[in-house]
Amino acid sequence: MANTSRLYLTCIRNTLEAAMCLQNFPCQEVERHNKPEVELKTSPELLLNPVLICRNEAEKCLIDSSINSLRISLKVKQADELENILTKKFLRFLSMRAEAFQVLRRKPVQGYDISFLVTNYHCEEMQKHKLIDFIVQFMEDIDKEISELKLSVNTRGRLVATEFLKQFI
Amino acid sequence: MILLQSPSRYLLQILSTRVQNLEKGVELDCQWIEFDDVRYHIQASVKNPNLLVLSVSLPTPPPETVFFGGLPPEAIEAIKAAYGTVVHILDPPKDGFNLTVKLNLSKLPPEEEHRKALLGKIASIREVVQGAPLRAVLKQLVSRTVKSDLNKLISLVHRPNESFFVVPQAEKVTVVFPMRFKDSIDSILATSFLQEFVDARRTAGLGNAPQCMWSPSPPQELKEAPAEALLANAGFVSFVISPRHVEGRKLDRTVWSLSTFHAYVSYHVKCSEGFMHTRMRRRVESLIEALDRAKPDWKKVKKAVQTRSFKRLSVNDGRASSNSRN
Repeated sequence: MANTSRLYLTCIRNTLEAAMCLQNFPCQEVERHNKPEVELKTSPELLLNPVLICRNEAEKCLIDSSINSLRISLKVKQADELENILTKKFLRFLSMRAEAFQVLRRKPVQGYDISFLVTNYHCEEMQKHKLIDFIVQFMEDIDKEISELKLSVNTRGRLVATEFLKQFI
Repeated sequence: MILLQSPSRYLLQILSTRVQNLEKGVELDCQWIEFDDVRYHIQASVKNPNLLVLSVSLPTPPPETVFFGGLPPEAIEAIKAAYGTVVHILDPPKDGFNLTVKLNLSKLPPEEEHRKALLGKIASIREVVQGAPLRAVLKQLVSRTVKSDLNKLISLVHRPNESFFVVPQAEKVTVVFPMRFKDSIDSILATSFLQEFVDARRTAGLGNAPQCMWSPSPPQELKEAPAEALLANAGFVSFVISPRHVEGRKLDRTVWSLSTFHAYVSYHVKCSEGFMHTRMRRRVESLIEALDRAKPDWKKVKKAVQTRSFKRLSVNDGRASSNSRN
């Protein structure tokens, strides 16, 4: 598991390293505004081609970049209904705390489970390679956490069932 | 606490304090609600400190369940058999309640041990009343009396407007629970729990436990049941109870655990959701720390907090840290 996902994560890491060359760029339309161009999409010359990295149908990562901002959207594997619920619950929990994470987007891009929005200001106040480390660790942690949560639900279910059935013996 | 206890803890506490302080004879008027919409009301007056009036209201039955005079069938007999002279049923019951009884504390047995046991039994009045029809069916299984209503579907209320079904057969009784949950997340978690019941039954130590089945569609036994009783978003669970599960003292426990099966599952579903939240909160903290590491002055911030490699502790510090650990 860890080895197969390493290739995927390395690919994302390399793409991010290449894509994260952001510079300050004030808005062209409105004076004294400075907005992430990747969100506004007002001028096509400021946008770069989006990169889509897929591990399989269910797991993919979309990286849209622009001159002053970068958007990373993740889709997390959901094998069954239980995983689906756990993923939704966990990612909603994270999105609700987007303020604390700074680079997290409050709402995921349509079709994805969670999105990050990195602007040139974030790159200025944080070290770029460490920021990339964080995103990759985030992805690893989500996978780990969801499989652990699933395991704990199943273990609890087994314990609950055993205790109930023991009463009849 | 993994299993639900049958005595209502609050009622037991009220009764035992009352018995201990009988000569004080304070006035008492208390109402409370337990899981599955069972309500209690207890009253006592200064004039007659020995008499307590206890009213119990059960969940409203769905149309397919029959109540006789506001009570499940055989409940009156069960109360009389369980409590004898201590409890006197008042007819009609108080407004809004299914059953009102008068408890005469002066008729409690004088020995401490018996008295405690009887008080515990009174506190589990819900088990006696609600479980009475199920107990009657299972008793037939013990005595192996062949009744005419074999294979007939009996529906028993266990939650407001919801019932479970009992099918008495020769040598066994099948109990079927349609599992419904209001919340979609709850129903998915419960489904995975219920599948664990089936798997757990197959493990070596539980070979003697009742056979347990789970299916998303109504099982064969329910073909006579009304259509609205067959909607269940977490599937159907059936237990096959054979005589060895209701022998002697096991009968009480079986009745209680079957009649609160839904509450048991939903209690643990809620518990695991709470546990998940704790975990997620911890994970968010560790992720935020990982993000902070990306900031160039992160180490400086850490250093500023701990400038010295040792810290002089005063008495107050030590107390505060030991408190936070608890």
